[in-house]
Amino acid sequence: MSITRRIFLKNGALAIVATTAVPGFLRRAAFAAETAAGKKRLVVLFQRGAADGLNIVVPHGESAYYAMRPSIAIPRPGRNESALDLDGFFGLHPSMSSLKPLWEQEHLAIVHAAGSPDTTRSHFDAQDYMESGTPGVKATEDGWLNRALKAPSGADAAKAPSPFRAVALGTSLPRALAGTQPAVALNNINEFGIGGRVGAPAPIAPTFEAMYAQSVDTVLHGTGHETFEAVRMLKSADPARYTPARGANYPNGQLGQGLRQVAQLMKADLGVEVVFTDIGGWDNHVNEGGSQGQLSNLLRQFSQSIAAFWTDLGDLGADTVLVTMSEFGRTARENGNRGTDHGHANVMFVLGGPVKGGKVYGRWPGLDSSQLYEGRDLALTTDFRRVLGEAVARHYGNKDLDTVFPGFENSPQKFLGLLG
Amino acid sequence: MRSASRKTTLLLLALALCASASLIAVDKAKSKSAAAGRMEEEKRALHALNRLSFGPRPGDVEKVRAMGVDKWIEQQLNPSKGDDAALEARLAPLRTLHMSTREMMEEFPPPQVIRAIAEGRMSLPSDPQRRAIYEAQIERYKRRREQQQKEAASGNNNASAAGEDAKGGEGDRKDMDPAERAQRREARMYAELKSEGLLDMTPEQRTAEIMKMSNDERRALARGFSPEECEKVFSEFSPQQRETVLALINPQAAVVGEVQQAKLLRAAYSDRQLEEVMTDFWFNHFNVFINKGPDRYLVTAYERDVIRPNSMGKFKDLLFSTAKSPAMLFYLDNWQSVGPNSEFTKNGPQRRGNQQAGAGRNRRMNQGGFGRGQMGRHRYPGMGQPPSGTGMPPAGGQQDQMGQQRRQQQQNRRSGLNENYARELMELQTLGVNGGYTQKDVTEVARVFTGWTIKQPRQGGDFDYEGRMHEPGDKVVLGQTIHDGGEGEGRKVLEMLARNLATAKFISTKLAQRFVSDAPPPALVDRMAQTFLKTDGDIREVLRTMFKSPEFWAPEAFRAKVKTPLEFVASAVRATGVDVQNAAPLVQALNRMGMPPYGMQPPTGYSMKAEAWVNSNALLSRMNFALALGGGRMPGVKFDPQTVLRGAPPPEKSDAALALLEDALLSGDLSKQTHDIIKKQLDNPQVTGRLLDDPQRAPNLGMIAGLILGSPEFQRR
Repeated sequence: MSITRRIFLKNGALAIVATTAVPGFLRRAAFAAETAAGKKRLVVLFQRGAADGLNIVVPHGESAYYAMRPSIAIPRPGRNESALDLDGFFGLHPSMSSLKPLWEQEHLAIVHAAGSPDTTRSHFDAQDYMESGTPGVKATEDGWLNRALKAPSGADAAKAPSPFRAVALGTSLPRALAGTQPAVALNNINEFGIGGRVGAPAPIAPTFEAMYAQSVDTVLHGTGHETFEAVRMLKSADPARYTPARGANYPNGQLGQGLRQVAQLMKADLGVEVVFTDIGGWDNHVNEGGSQGQLSNLLRQFSQSIAAFWTDLGDLGADTVLVTMSEFGRTARENGNRGTDHGHANVMFVLGGPVKGGKVYGRWPGLDSSQLYEGRDLALTTDFRRVLGEAVARHYGNKDLDTVFPGFENSPQKFLGLLG
Repeated sequence: MRSASRKTTLLLLALALCASASLIAVDKAKSKSAAAGRMEEEKRALHALNRLSFGPRPGDVEKVRAMGVDKWIEQQLNPSKGDDAALEARLAPLRTLHMSTREMMEEFPPPQVIRAIAEGRMSLPSDPQRRAIYEAQIERYKRRREQQQKEAASGNNNASAAGEDAKGGEGDRKDMDPAERAQRREARMYAELKSEGLLDMTPEQRTAEIMKMSNDERRALARGFSPEECEKVFSEFSPQQRETVLALINPQAAVVGEVQQAKLLRAAYSDRQLEEVMTDFWFNHFNVFINKGPDRYLVTAYERDVIRPNSMGKFKDLLFSTAKSPAMLFYLDNWQSVGPNSEFTKNGPQRRGNQQAGAGRNRRMNQGGFGRGQMGRHRYPGMGQPPSGTGMPPAGGQQDQMGQQRRQQQQNRRSGLNENYARELMELQTLGVNGGYTQKDVTEVARVFTGWTIKQPRQGGDFDYEGRMHEPGDKVVLGQTIHDGGEGEGRKVLEMLARNLATAKFISTKLAQRFVSDAPPPALVDRMAQTFLKTDGDIREVLRTMFKSPEFWAPEAFRAKVKTPLEFVASAVRATGVDVQNAAPLVQALNRMGMPPYGMQPPTGYSMKAEAWVNSNALLSRMNFALALGGGRMPGVKFDPQTVLRGAPPPEKSDAALALLEDALLSGDLSKQTHDIIKKQLDNPQVTGRLLDDPQRAPNLGMIAGLILGSPEFQRR
């Protein structure tokens, strides 16, 4: 109840701010409410299937790279369909040109040779570990992103948290969001409700809502309450009216449409704090392609979706950080069929207002045979928990990293300094 | 008739609560029913049905009470081997259920076979229907190949091959020449026109029409349909017609769809309910993911020949037969685990003088690729997989590259020890995660099971022990030396694990979690574990210990379990007695709730605990399912109020209708709050569709049923 009221009040106040000249105290009050509500947002994007980091952020300064990938290497900058140079050593895959401006504006940072230290090359296990946040430990029941949700403090402690605090796009909660904190799984905001489309009158919905609201069943009552609260909030906020900002051209495909909905939720001021979404199709054992081809096509979709999301967020970008990850990288050498096999370290992108971008972070281990992990894969120099830990602590504001990543020493001194 | 006095009791209860919510009045009503000695026994019957079956059907509570609850339980523990005619009739049209894996692969060819034919290594079948299936797939394969070659040859490809795969369709590519594009557009328009016409045809005409179509048209047709339209087109097909059409578009999806649908049909209609519950339990315990490569074809036999026959036998037998099943060997990669010091590693895959066999082995070793299509959008309950088993799946070409992949992997894959099975065997199947084993034990057990492999996994082959892959030497497992002994080592380890106290406790805990509560009383688990040890892991005996325990019948156990999506859907189908002519919409409902049948990717299996299933998306899906079921909006799943009325005249007043349905669907066990809320809504003409000036119109039983099925009370068992 309090939530809805709070949101309405806030919306009302903001509406005043937006429309006309308002007394200073009111404006201050509105912004204070904003800050108090804790508006830091973290978006996690999982590339399922093990993306080929070496062809995504290309070490064009390494001659070994070209020797090991005769048919799929991305040419050095300056040639035809070549890597988009970043810093004289690394370059972006040419189909990721939509991310280049974000790099130049220093909103986009890159961490290379990052990932999970576990040696498994099983998609199942590696994804599981990266979502539980405890590589090598299978017994962990909850996910790191759920543990990252901070306890409401100050004025928020008295209020019920927004049901949209933690959102996953999909039919059920991913492993990363499993746990004690409520999180909402949402497949399509237009179909999140009783009897189909949001906003369509379904006279039966209030009946169900009343049943769950009055139920003494503690388990179902709680989730039922959250659910209908979410449905109602969604309905009144009507995220559908937040059409993408000018210039935010989301490509077709699940990721683009998913991020478009995430932006809608954020712009509708529904109290979103963490978001989990994913995109598959990276497991290119065969005909991966170089500047053109399968990976190239997927990367175009991937980067255009992210760029559109960033454009769409507008001012909200200042308080938003997006991190990408994939369960492991791929072999440094291309295989016999112009593809790559399961490898080890990978590349992560970190995008956002507070990000100190325009830089490739992490120690580069090199690609000489002796430098490769097990003689075949990019070695790992940055644990993915280091990157996520910094985003969780410095940006999102949950300093209790021992709980988020148990068993991993993650002191601020060891952070890469990605965030200002 | 039977519930005359029950109704009075309920009425009294309701009145008492309505009047003042006086506790005294409630107690009075309760004591009155207890005095009659009926409610108690009825509650026991209901509880037993809720736990040992997928939920009571109309009349089941009475039947069990009449028979005697204990006697019914014994009957369920010892199901007659006789046939379950009603169920068999419903399953009969799903032909793959009775096929061997090899037959299945012949009738519904996997991409490897299609490739072999396209490359002239195999010939087409002569049966016309089968031939049509093959030809459709071959054409698709060839088109895909051309595309790939074109892409590789020309630099001009903005085609989103990957994007297409993700969506599963083939859009117009930018590199198409105009003529090709025009041709495609025409095919699509034609298909769209046809699809409208198709909806008006009889199912027979429809099948014939689709059989006549070119592959392009079929694809365009499948693409042009919304999921709802797919359901509509398919709903009136007989299962055979569905199978044929589906096989033309995607043979693998036809196979997967049938076994998924069969699961729902068995849960809903089997007389041997406990056996089905236990089959589901053990499948989940020894989980295999149906969308991992050849497991699409292996799961049917795995459940039919490995799990179900052992579901109430000895745990040891389950353990042995799962260990040797191709489905498990493939799923947990043991089939390609090779001893580092084995003959195979030392002398290479090819045996002198027997190159044929060696080459076969080598090929086998290199087929464990992880096809792109297997990476669902999500890896957790149920997402992203195409709603197989329903409508027309997207015609994705995910596996068409396997030929090249295979050759390539042959050069690249390093053979070696694979610990996957060894770890899950101890962590998830026997000892449990804290069962006292170490990483060293995992490695040793992996060494023990080297050589346990599959003969030609992609041709439906069976278990094979290959001595050349086996790691020589003694192994030490859990402090015990396993002497160098080939295949026998594995058997010894399985024996050891099956007899271990940790295993007894772990299995007992999981059983009690399924049948009693999410956090079962430790004393009960201990007694069950004792039985397990005393009876050499006799599952039936362990169940009996549990069913006879006071903990099982304790008041706090009553409705203590939140239904999983499967339990919810199956119990709703059973409670309403709907006639399921097409189970695909039920499979789709489970997909939406995050529990696609056989679709759990990690080896943990689905959770049995409430927290995994109580989330907003899933709850909304349940309510929408309930309304669709009651409202008759699910194609091929018809609700007939007569099954619930059981001969009684349809009630004229909404109050009577509500009482009747509460009784039928929940044995009257609906809270006062829920009852009042529904009652209030029934008086609202906007909800009931009854106009105020038309009081004579009969209450909408389907809508009331939907409300009850979507209520908090119905989410528990």
